[in-house]
Amino acid sequence: MRDLLKKLMYTPSVSGREDRVREVIYNEIKDYCDEISTDAMGNLIARKIGNGKKIMFCAHMDEIGFFATYITGDGDIKVSPVGGINTLSASHQCVVSESGVRGVLVPNSSKDKPKCEDMYIDIGAKNKKQAEKIVKIGDFFVCEPKLEKLQNQRYIGRPFDDRVGCAIMIDAIKKVKSENDLYFVFSVQEEVGGRGAKPAAFAIAPDYGIAIDVTMVGEKGGPGEMDVKLGRGCAIKIKDSSVISSPELVKKMREIAMDGKIKYQDEILPAGGTDASPMQIAGRGAKVSVISIPTAHIHTSCEMIDMFDVKEAVKLTVALAEKL
Amino acid sequence: MKELLKNLSLAFGPSGCEDAVRELVYEEIKDYIDKDSATVDALGNLIVHMGGDGPKMMICAHMDEVGFMVTGIGENGSLKFGTVGGIDPISLGAKRVISESGVRGAISAKPIHLLTKEEREAGPKIKNMTIDIGADTREEAEELTFIGDYFTFDSGYEEYGNGYIKCKALDDRLGCAIMCQLIKDIKNGAIDLKYDTYFAFTTREEIGYSGAFSASARINPDYAIVIESKAVADIYGVEGSKKVSVLGDGVIISYADRGTIYDRTLISHIKRIADENEIKNQVNLYISGGNDSANIQKNACGARVSTLSCASRYIHSQSDVIHETDFFAAYEVVKKVLNENPPTKE
Repeated sequence: MRDLLKKLMYTPSVSGREDRVREVIYNEIKDYCDEISTDAMGNLIARKIGNGKKIMFCAHMDEIGFFATYITGDGDIKVSPVGGINTLSASHQCVVSESGVRGVLVPNSSKDKPKCEDMYIDIGAKNKKQAEKIVKIGDFFVCEPKLEKLQNQRYIGRPFDDRVGCAIMIDAIKKVKSENDLYFVFSVQEEVGGRGAKPAAFAIAPDYGIAIDVTMVGEKGGPGEMDVKLGRGCAIKIKDSSVISSPELVKKMREIAMDGKIKYQDEILPAGGTDASPMQIAGRGAKVSVISIPTAHIHTSCEMIDMFDVKEAVKLTVALAEKL
Repeated sequence: MKELLKNLSLAFGPSGCEDAVRELVYEEIKDYIDKDSATVDALGNLIVHMGGDGPKMMICAHMDEVGFMVTGIGENGSLKFGTVGGIDPISLGAKRVISESGVRGAISAKPIHLLTKEEREAGPKIKNMTIDIGADTREEAEELTFIGDYFTFDSGYEEYGNGYIKCKALDDRLGCAIMCQLIKDIKNGAIDLKYDTYFAFTTREEIGYSGAFSASARINPDYAIVIESKAVADIYGVEGSKKVSVLGDGVIISYADRGTIYDRTLISHIKRIADENEIKNQVNLYISGGNDSANIQKNACGARVSTLSCASRYIHSQSDVIHETDFFAAYEVVKKVLNENPPTKE
């Protein structure tokens, strides 16, 4: 699991530019599915054919980052954010472009929380001409990938959001044996507003839609009113600001988790959303919820997860695929 | 083509009230299309199917413009209004406006002599503005207009300087004009279509792309090219990336805006065709705005989308300004794209 996760995390792919990580995932799963295709937006859709219920699992391949928008006379790269960037955390981080150009993200502001439009990337170029040789307008940058083990089973790194969901789905695809008609969608452009999952859900028209994504924790600087902690199991989403989960599906998820002795937590996230929302309202609609992976410091360069929660999430994914 | 641009731009068509523009477009193209190839859907989109072999291509431009809607009539005959689409109140004071039935008016503004320091610094607010149609009483006003009536800017079409064009509503009548010309070219055999091609003249773009939503659901395209105008700040005192793009430097082939991250395969294909044919093109140096692509891309099973834009100064005002170089470049690129084989998929 750790090696797979690392491979996914170390393949930078911001929203709209998911081709590389899609290739990695395709190679991982192609021998384990009955059908596999890529749609117009770039969603990777894998199917295990069955006669039972149509279930769509969905984890997004994209990560937050930056587009290069302009190169200054000094050879610095002005950027525009892709997804919800925490500029405080991104300041003075090492960044890397899609073609491997490295640099540092300079906040260029005395404010506590710099604005993205004040920031630039210093790639060490002496002037515009030099910079233009290696960076084109529209190229993307991300904060450098990282994965390190801390105490217990805790890991820090980026981007767990949502490569950990992709890894969980890949692992589940390899393990699951089910009568149900299973679709595993590795979606695009979630970080810019769940754009990819919508056409995928329209095409599949599932009975149940289950996103697999990270969620916040109520500790470590997260929203204090939230009763989710690292290391207490995966979470079953009841509500966030974009979706109210199907009560019927949530009930079944809890029952199946309890039957399988899978540790879970109930999650109500005060802000934020996932691909569950577009899945719920695409086409004629679907019953949706989310298997969440409790994650501290989301959208920073040091997101933190507990590998115990990840293992429980794999178990719940497999159990739902087989028993729903 | 500029004559057509002029006529289209002067036509009345705020979002939700595009009938006059649609009739003008239809008049322009009706001799060049098969009678049953044109459809007007429930939202008022005009969809023209030109045929051709290959994957489905949707060429799209919106007919609507920003404008005003009457929301109340005062005892003194002045009209309260709301904006239809995004309009900066700073561009409104003392401007001429005209209603669907041709009633002329001006937007109220307190003279600078009478503004307090606070008012000057805070800037104008739409809630404090009214439309003055020269009525002295509510009754007089009610004979000329009604609550729910539309107004737009009342401004003329002018060509000035070295290739600049100024008018209201160039956003996005320039796209409509280009599409009309392409339809004529196809009929005249100047384009050998490599796509099963649809033209969608859409409604309601300025209030959230809802026309394109239903048009693309009907067409369900594989590819889409949206022809648009793009807000830029190519003016004195704005430097570098904040300019966004420069008038006269060619058609803008966007890689991303606030609503859409464009399909890389399609935009590289278009860029290659533009370069090979020596058609001037540029990129946007700042990410802003959005258009019909946002809905076309993720509608139904999804589509590969791109936007080709003309840079526009003072957009959403009575004086949209574009450069004819960019206008003709946008036309030439789309024409060449339709003539060439589709991009090979990754």
